[in-house]
Amino acid sequence: MWKLVVVSLRLLYRNKEALLWALAFPMSFAVVFGLFDLNKPPEANVGVVTPASSPVAAQLLAGLREIEGFTVSEQPDLPRAQAELGDGTVDLVVAGPPAGQPEATGVVRVRYDGSDPEINRFALPAVERVVDGMNLSLAGVEAPPLLLEQEEVVGKTVTYYDFLLPGLVAMGVMHFSIVGTGVGVARYREQRVLRRLLVTPLQPVRFLTAYVIASLVLAAVQAALILGTGVLLFGAQVYGHVAWILLLSVVGNLVFLNLGFVVAGRAPSSTAAQGVGSCVSIPMMILSGVFFSTDTLPPLVRSGVEYLPLTPLIDALRKVAIDGLSITDTGRQLTLIGAWIVISFLLASLTFRFADGK
Amino acid sequence: MATVRQGVKLRSGSRRESENAVEVEDLVKVFPSRRRGTVVAVGGVSFSVRAGEVFGFLGPNGAGKTTTLEIIEGMRDPTSGRAQVFGLDSRRDRVKLKERIGVQLQAGAYFDYLTLEEILDLLGSFYRERVPPAELLEKVGLVEKRKALVRELSGGQAQRFSIVAALVNDPDVVFLDEPTTGLDPQARRNLWELITSINRDEGKTVILTTHYMEEAEHLCDRVAIIDRGTIRALDTPTDLIHQLPVAYRIMFSTDGHIEPAELQTLPGVAEVDACINGRFAYGLRVARAMETLPAFLTWAEQRDVRVENLRVLPATLEEVFLSLTGRSLRE
Repeated sequence: MWKLVVVSLRLLYRNKEALLWALAFPMSFAVVFGLFDLNKPPEANVGVVTPASSPVAAQLLAGLREIEGFTVSEQPDLPRAQAELGDGTVDLVVAGPPAGQPEATGVVRVRYDGSDPEINRFALPAVERVVDGMNLSLAGVEAPPLLLEQEEVVGKTVTYYDFLLPGLVAMGVMHFSIVGTGVGVARYREQRVLRRLLVTPLQPVRFLTAYVIASLVLAAVQAALILGTGVLLFGAQVYGHVAWILLLSVVGNLVFLNLGFVVAGRAPSSTAAQGVGSCVSIPMMILSGVFFSTDTLPPLVRSGVEYLPLTPLIDALRKVAIDGLSITDTGRQLTLIGAWIVISFLLASLTFRFADGK
Repeated sequence: MATVRQGVKLRSGSRRESENAVEVEDLVKVFPSRRRGTVVAVGGVSFSVRAGEVFGFLGPNGAGKTTTLEIIEGMRDPTSGRAQVFGLDSRRDRVKLKERIGVQLQAGAYFDYLTLEEILDLLGSFYRERVPPAELLEKVGLVEKRKALVRELSGGQAQRFSIVAALVNDPDVVFLDEPTTGLDPQARRNLWELITSINRDEGKTVILTTHYMEEAEHLCDRVAIIDRGTIRALDTPTDLIHQLPVAYRIMFSTDGHIEPAELQTLPGVAEVDACINGRFAYGLRVARAMETLPAFLTWAEQRDVRVENLRVLPATLEEVFLSLTGRSLRE
């Protein structure tokens, strides 16, 4: 058995093409997402229209200039400012009260482009704050009764990249197990390698077990590499123990290997296996919350995707990586994964065949 | 624990020689077919193979040769009937049977990323007794290629390798499925030598399938002619040919047209082939060459017919097949 495992590993790593793809695919995600500096504070170009040189207008301009991220430009009049808004030069137009309006009840007009929620989420409240502050000072309140003091407690900072990385680990491991196994084993069947083995006293189950063990080893290596790339190259924070992450990846991988066998068993050719495998793995990547939380899905769908095989694995990995929990705290996820191991194993044993027509 | 055989052991058990290596009784294999309901691949085949002989199945593609072999090898279950190798049943004693046999699969493939050495080593590890890879590779002159991958070999080398891969466990019976299909004549002859030496020098029983009649004639002690799932005849190649009503062909070329009807009047002529290959060439199909030949030569002299390239050829298994089935082996 040991020899079979070694041979299976040898076959896996000698196939440079498949290996490259197994590692490059998830690692490229890790790199690409790492390159995007997602923590950069938002920016907005604000065009301010101040028709009359009045203290209010000056105060408005000064207040807006103080907001971090605002690039303020003065606009001569509203129509031209709106033109700039229209062609995107300016993200926001703030117009102070026009000349002639009594200062006491001035109207500050804000025009914005509704199609960019990011900017609006940041910019509009900022403008509101400036106007509120101005209102206070115009009403004569020099020292407001309540002061808001913000103090950041030193704790965990979790960036989107930290959130993403465990998902990428799961994705990489899953994708290769489903598609790689699907294509690889289908190719063996196509090349009649498995059939050649049937001629020997070797029990087919032993060969498959060796293949599974070798694949699990590969999965651990993959997980380590993806994690390593994220942490070492892009400074991702992993709060829990790396050992739990690797262990979870290996355990979760059992499900995907079985699914890979199902794909290999059902697909008529190894090229078809590639397509079928991808059809299974790619939607799952998105629905199981690799890239963004599933909270934005409609409730019925959301409760459904909870039970996809990838979801509990990602949840468990995130619990370890982000919440810093140990594997004993992932009981619910492990139960779901365990159930899937059983189901996928049954599916695989029903559909997998060693040679056409046996 | 696997034990490694040093050198080659000659098989000579007097007990073995009188024993039948393979016995097959009323073997039937039926496949369900979407288009035709069921397909009878093997329809009641019975025969036995003596230990130490080279036994051949001759028939066109789809005759049921491969399926029959697969059942004997324990790779497939028959619908009914029984197959035994040295007394081991192909179903009940499957694992023990597999230990004793070696199989070369038609277009059998091997792991594409393992070297020849590694493949032989891996296959050998499945058996209790095994032959060292170096020895096997030497037998077929592939020692320098031991670190090569199978895809780097030529057609002939690959076939030689796949035959020797069937010998990793020093089996008593070797099954070869279409061993020379797709090879050029030189490579084919090399392979014939290899097969003959396996049989003669090592005393192994060889069972092969082929659709080349020269191969069956050259290699086999006995041939079973199989067509559409049943055995039509089983005998030595010579005896099979001699059973033909027409066992010889007298062939010649000449410089002018001759009426076939005229040749037909010669004694013993069953059939006349005229204008073979578009030239003035003729063939007389006769039962006994010595009966017709003198009469033909006399006739030619009397008619002042120029005779060139005179050849007397014995019939081949191709003609045996034709006479039994009405079809050609090549269809």
